[in-house]
Amino acid sequence: MLEVRNISKSFGGFRAINRANLDVKKGEVVAVIGPNGAGKTTLFNVITGILKPNEGQVVFKGEDITGLAPHKMCKKGIARSFQIVNIFSRLTVFQNVQIAVFAEQGRDLTLFSPSRKLAVDDTYAILDSVGLTEKAKSVCGSLSHGDLKVLEIAIVLGGRPELVILDEPTAGMSPEETGRCISLIQRLSTERGLTILFCEHDMELVFSIAQRIMVMVQGSTIIESDCASVRRNKEVQDAYLGED
Amino acid sequence: MDILSAICSPVVLCQILMGLSRTVILFIVASGLSLILGVLRIPNIAHGSLYMIGAFMAYTVSRLFGGGIAGYWMAVLLAPLGVALLSFVVERGIFSRVYDREHIMLFLLTFAFVLVFGDLVKMVWGAEYRTVPIPPFFQGAIPILGMRFPIYNFFLLLMGPLVAILLYLLVNKTKMGKISRAAAVDMEMVAGVGINVSRVFCSVFVIGCFLAGLGGALVAPIVNVSLGMDHTLIMEAFLIVIIGGLGNIWGALLGSLIFGLTQSLGILIWPQFGIVLPYAAVIVVLSFRPTGLLRSTW
Amino acid sequence: METANYKYVIFALVIAAIFAVAPFSLPRFYVYLIALIVTTGLLSTSLNFVLGFGGIYQFHHAVFYGVGAYGAAVMIMKLNYNPWIGFIVGPLAAAFLSLVIGLICIRLSKLYFGMLQISLGSLVWAIVYRWYTFTGGDDGIHGISVPPILESPIGSYYFTLIVVALSLFIMYRILKAPFGSILQGIRDNVVRSQAIGVNVRRHQLIAIVIAGFFAGVAGVLFVVVDNSVFPDMMFWTLSLEITIMALVGGWYTFLGPMLGAAIIVLLRTFVSTMTEYWALALGLVLLLVILFLPEGVLGKVFEIWRERGLGRTGEAERTKGTDYA
Repeated sequence: MLEVRNISKSFGGFRAINRANLDVKKGEVVAVIGPNGAGKTTLFNVITGILKPNEGQVVFKGEDITGLAPHKMCKKGIARSFQIVNIFSRLTVFQNVQIAVFAEQGRDLTLFSPSRKLAVDDTYAILDSVGLTEKAKSVCGSLSHGDLKVLEIAIVLGGRPELVILDEPTAGMSPEETGRCISLIQRLSTERGLTILFCEHDMELVFSIAQRIMVMVQGSTIIESDCASVRRNKEVQDAYLGED
Repeated sequence: MDILSAICSPVVLCQILMGLSRTVILFIVASGLSLILGVLRIPNIAHGSLYMIGAFMAYTVSRLFGGGIAGYWMAVLLAPLGVALLSFVVERGIFSRVYDREHIMLFLLTFAFVLVFGDLVKMVWGAEYRTVPIPPFFQGAIPILGMRFPIYNFFLLLMGPLVAILLYLLVNKTKMGKISRAAAVDMEMVAGVGINVSRVFCSVFVIGCFLAGLGGALVAPIVNVSLGMDHTLIMEAFLIVIIGGLGNIWGALLGSLIFGLTQSLGILIWPQFGIVLPYAAVIVVLSFRPTGLLRSTW
Repeated sequence: METANYKYVIFALVIAAIFAVAPFSLPRFYVYLIALIVTTGLLSTSLNFVLGFGGIYQFHHAVFYGVGAYGAAVMIMKLNYNPWIGFIVGPLAAAFLSLVIGLICIRLSKLYFGMLQISLGSLVWAIVYRWYTFTGGDDGIHGISVPPILESPIGSYYFTLIVVALSLFIMYRILKAPFGSILQGIRDNVVRSQAIGVNVRRHQLIAIVIAGFFAGVAGVLFVVVDNSVFPDMMFWTLSLEITIMALVGGWYTFLGPMLGAAIIVLLRTFVSTMTEYWALALGLVLLLVILFLPEGVLGKVFEIWRERGLGRTGEAERTKGTDYA
């Protein structure tokens, strides 16, 4: 579904990504792992159009989407969450998700129908599926960090994507929250058939849900394969697992 | 008459020189604005008010010292210092407490000072315009190409590069200057290496305001020192820093040159609407360089 | 829930009744003052449409107000059109100018956008100020003829009230619709809005045009009430004054700017009788509001109501709608 071919990205003299290659097939759960500064978020930024690569292509469902503007990515079927909580801070949880639904439904230029009557069921459906229904009317400032990260995912779902890109979805969560998030991601894959690409630090988490893993270190891809191969790979063990 | 001889005619050349002397004043004020904009990220809309206060203070100091040559030099020295002191008090007393707010709030805060300073000037000096005498040494005009060019404006043409050089040394060669340049690019990094950010802000703010006051003091002998100076000047200063690139002092120089020259030539060619030419220059520049001619620090 | 709605309706009716009766019980000056307040309130609300609800740093909104007014004035007095046509041309001209200035500035963000708008707006001012033959230069245009029904203070008063009420209603509806919800999303987080598929620039541009249109309407209303226009209507200081009104009233609320306009205009009328230093007073008010009441009067009122609501029901969560913070 998604092919990343030989993507390179430099900032001034600093090579953030060096010829990255990634294949994500429909319905798969793929993880990108690597130490801090490996270039994972930069890679996600390139895939979703926030950054333009210096070299290489991003192909989605056979179409070259390299460097396409971020707001057009959603229409193509790609939605992305952010590592640092990036929500609509003055609005309620319900409104956060509702806006995403509006955008997806092409209602952004609807001027005269009241928001409170539109897309209500769709929005609640999403809130139910992530478990945020009780907090629907809370303003984001009063939510716990874990809830905010879940809201991140809920907003992503509002766009009814085919490919979901999650940037460190469990960062900063407590063990209990992390567990819930993992099962949520698994449900998204199994129940909704979504293709999921995510990046994480937590190795065990990654091994427990990912079907394929790409390992990046300082911008370069060390290996892109299934869990078992990655586990066995000497370089990965030295570079990354060895540090744990 | 073909274009070349028209351009080289004494009238035009004289107008260009007049434009350049105006450029000097604009540059001095705009560089201060740019400094504050670059490091503190605040468009100090009160900058024009400080310029006006500098001019009025120059008037008072000059009278205090008898109005002659001594009066003039004391004015040029003390008025900017007075403005700097005022800005120091304001910065320490109010601004430094609210740096954590959104930028729009800080911007509105500077507008509050436009209002306050405007009326304070009216209170202290009254509503009539004042004149500051040109010191004896600078009175009169010298003939250039058959036209008479005021000596004072010539003096300004010399002051311009002097201030530019001093600024260059300050920004590039002093420790404070280097810290400010680093702060303009990455404030967190600067704080992270243990530098007192609050003090950097204060110094930059005060120096920027000093420059505004200096501009006012220098321009005082050749304009009507009056209320309303603040409003018109700040419009021009904003335009200049936008053309030149926000936060870039050399951009302020370039912007002032463009502004000063298009304005004086504009008035010559088209007396009624020549004043509009600098704005047209802005639009032209921005259409191919949206962030200004030189690199902005934003 | 039912009782709360009931209360609001009663309250609104009472206010409406007061406004309706005013011209018959108050001296002429006060009628003029009320008309001025609601006109200014409309202007401030139109500014807040993009500022408080869109997060767009519209620092020279007064230009559109001035263009709306001058558009009408010039059509009526210099081009000799029927006043009603002038009244329609004004806001349209304002909307068009918003589009042009918006397009130029939209690529820039936040403060830079605002600064450039001040510069471009000042260009428009400079042209109007100097074009003596067409715009009356710094004298402005006076004695603008209006349709006969609007010549009397009562006629212009009611007309102004109706137009303002209608304009507010329209803007309110837009803000409560998906367009408005997304606009607020853009205010809170541009990057996220793009990520969910919103064409941020286009959205902001449309909002700016709507705001400019209603600023133009406010300008036309000023012509109706005052029968004159002058260049100060588009000077940058006025733009910042209306921003102050929005801030004082509460710029995350819909009615805040109207309240702020009332406060500032009344304060100005009152203070001006005592001293000539109104600017100083306004500056001090602004200073105090920034330091101690940044959420504005209405913002503070809503905050207190919500906290009282906490006490009564004992719930841990806070509830908010989309039109106030």
